[in-house]
Amino acid sequence: MSSKKRSAFLRILLSGIFIMFTGVVMAAIPKNVLVIGQSHSNMKTMDPHVCYESPTGSFVMNLYTQLVHISYENDKFVIEPDTATSWNVAADGKTWTFNIRKGMRFANGDPLTAEDVVYSLKRVIKLKKSPSWLLTDTFGLSEEGIKMIDSYTVQIVTNGAPENVVLSNLANQVGSIVNKKLVEANDKDGDMGMDWLVDHSAGAGAYVLKAWNRNQAMIYTANKNYWKGPARLETIIFKDVPEAAERYLLLKKGDIDVAFKLTPEQLAEISKGNMARVVKTPGQSNEYVGMSANFGPFKNPKVRQAVKYAIDYNAMIDKVRGGYAINNQQFIAAGYFGYKENNPYSQDLAKARQLLKEAGYADGFDVELTTSVTERRRAEAVIVQQNLAQIGIRAKINIMQTAQMYAKFRKQGIDLIVAGWGNDYPDADALANPFANHRVKQLAWRLNWLDDKAADMAEAAAQEKDSARRAKIYQDLTNYWHENGPFAMLYQMVETWGVNNKVKGADDAFGGAYVHFDFYKLYK
Amino acid sequence: MVIVMTGVATIVFFITRIIPADPVGAILGGNAPIELVDKMRAELGLDKPIHEQFIDYVVGIFHGDFGHSLVTKKPILEDIFTFLPATMELAIVAMFFAIIIGIISGAFSAVKRNSIVDHATRVFSIMGVALPVFWLGLILLFFLYFKADLFPGGGRHSLFIFPEKITGLVLLDAIICRDWDTFKDALHHIILPAFVLGYAHAALISRIKRASMLDVLQQDYIRTARAKGLGKRVVIFRHALRNSLIPVVTVIGVSFGDLLGGAVLTETIFSWPGLGRYLVNALLVLDYPAITGGTLFIAFVYSLANLLVDISYAVLDPRMQN
Repeated sequence: MSSKKRSAFLRILLSGIFIMFTGVVMAAIPKNVLVIGQSHSNMKTMDPHVCYESPTGSFVMNLYTQLVHISYENDKFVIEPDTATSWNVAADGKTWTFNIRKGMRFANGDPLTAEDVVYSLKRVIKLKKSPSWLLTDTFGLSEEGIKMIDSYTVQIVTNGAPENVVLSNLANQVGSIVNKKLVEANDKDGDMGMDWLVDHSAGAGAYVLKAWNRNQAMIYTANKNYWKGPARLETIIFKDVPEAAERYLLLKKGDIDVAFKLTPEQLAEISKGNMARVVKTPGQSNEYVGMSANFGPFKNPKVRQAVKYAIDYNAMIDKVRGGYAINNQQFIAAGYFGYKENNPYSQDLAKARQLLKEAGYADGFDVELTTSVTERRRAEAVIVQQNLAQIGIRAKINIMQTAQMYAKFRKQGIDLIVAGWGNDYPDADALANPFANHRVKQLAWRLNWLDDKAADMAEAAAQEKDSARRAKIYQDLTNYWHENGPFAMLYQMVETWGVNNKVKGADDAFGGAYVHFDFYKLYK
Repeated sequence: MVIVMTGVATIVFFITRIIPADPVGAILGGNAPIELVDKMRAELGLDKPIHEQFIDYVVGIFHGDFGHSLVTKKPILEDIFTFLPATMELAIVAMFFAIIIGIISGAFSAVKRNSIVDHATRVFSIMGVALPVFWLGLILLFFLYFKADLFPGGGRHSLFIFPEKITGLVLLDAIICRDWDTFKDALHHIILPAFVLGYAHAALISRIKRASMLDVLQQDYIRTARAKGLGKRVVIFRHALRNSLIPVVTVIGVSFGDLLGGAVLTETIFSWPGLGRYLVNALLVLDYPAITGGTLFIAFVYSLANLLVDISYAVLDPRMQN
């Protein structure tokens, strides 16, 4: 290479390096824009009647209005008017009439009428996708039971389920009202717009889905026609950041406003700084140890109680969740109808050993403890294993892929399991059924706890319309279940976010997540 | 190549079916009732005998139909071509780094054998092979993004830049559109992930280049060239460098296939929206069509890269044309 060529090459190289290091200015996030960093790996569709993932469902909820809105105030869920301004139930307890808000418009300007409401509810039933059971099974909605009385009145017929069950499910994203005209215009081979709604929106909610580049970012823009008035944040960008370590760095650096799913250690670091803070709320899921009532020793309720007394609940919360969990030993989540603090168990090894002795297992026994591969579950399983060892139960941990584990569990094939349950709607019924009613073939059935008394109580509560009597049935069921049930509830999750201090209203917006998750309440 | 592809298609199909896992359960989650699981299994044809599923699969492939992703609901080929450009762009830049760094350091190391340069290059090579990509990526992010503010913190471009899409390769599209702001931004974003991805391959190329160069430098024709009185630089650049490239080209070919299929960790750490992450997500929810389609595609790229390597031998060494 001649010296001329060499110097030209060097000049180009140096110019390139100069451009790299000085040519780009990293832009700050504008005041009317919110950037959220979270993993998109679980995001499949934004169709409100198909989506069944968390937290995607609560993002979808912000694109649509529902007949009623669910809010979270003073640690409790509250039902508020939304598309319906008012509603009433006939004396039969089954026929509901909703009065639709007049003058409401979809984001594209089309008027929202009772016709759209009827089309939307029927669409859920016709499509029959994963979340449809929230309307059909919980309160018995059928196509025949949905009627348009006039342009602003809709009537539905239920199976007589209690008010909170009906309304909290209608407030869910599956109860979203879609624009009939727009959806029908995008129908493909009779799919009711399902393909199109994967990455488009057709609602009247606070936001509109502007774009979704998978594994990059999804963009919401404020709906100028929203009935409460346009949201203060004009744009929300959901940036796909799969790694918690990167989300943490981006938040600390101010390149995102909200970071989802940070580790307890990262949350502790954020609490120390002055740029961001930790926002938290009781979560809609709990972790449990399940014992198969069909497995030798666990057939005896005393052995099941011994396990419940062996577990160190406080250590579990501190070590696994860094304190971000609630010691809630019943199946009803904090904030739900029917919840009343009731934690009869704390670690008492002497009592646990005594119970084992009375059951004829003074020397303990061997059992396989199955759990899934996630870091959290493995940590929980290790603590449970250590606690059980203290009373002589020799648990051998078997770690399985999550899907593989649930496939085995669904076939009643697991003796002892550490797992979790995500709640579907904020009512005790959503939890009493899986945890206590074997007839619905959920958790109690998977653990072979075929207890008719518990199942009868769960079903009676589900049909009881008097709130006080209904609450009393749940309390009785909880006490019976504590004594006899095959579950040791480890804790109720606390959901957390790292939030930049410039973002206001996050406590209100994220309270009760992911049942309630309202971007409309956020501003800077 | 056809035999390889047929073998891969068969193996991947049966492995995904034989493992004791449940894709429907993975998609619906632990809460889903049995009725819903059974319904979806029937919808996806997973309740059919395995030989019938295989026949459906093979017939589909011959019609260019790899099925629809259970997650994105889109045809697999459409998904692959959506995510491929990001991986392709990252792999090309990573390969560029790997070749430049690998060949220069390897050649220097051989020429300056047992000098400080040689020792430093060998340490560099060992580190490249030994350092986990995950660790290196996070460390570089921490120091060069978080502390020094020299590079952005992941992604293909800034959030507030909306590149024109022509080929899907952001750098190339920016050049075509003469959008220099986007070009600079995208270049700024790609350097760290490309370096992390390319480092291990640079180290490998450097080692191969060094060994090959040392071998060539001891050949008779090099001695002859020196004996003829040719200058040291002429001997190295004109005779030794080119002749020591053949094993390097083999490594480069295989490496490029590896970069396309193995960028998973780098793509995860740097939020890079490529094929690697698409496949990881597919694996996590047992998205069978995506797993089989994606794997077939990567096998195809591997085979193609090896074919190109074989062809390039003839260019580098005319004796092989015979």
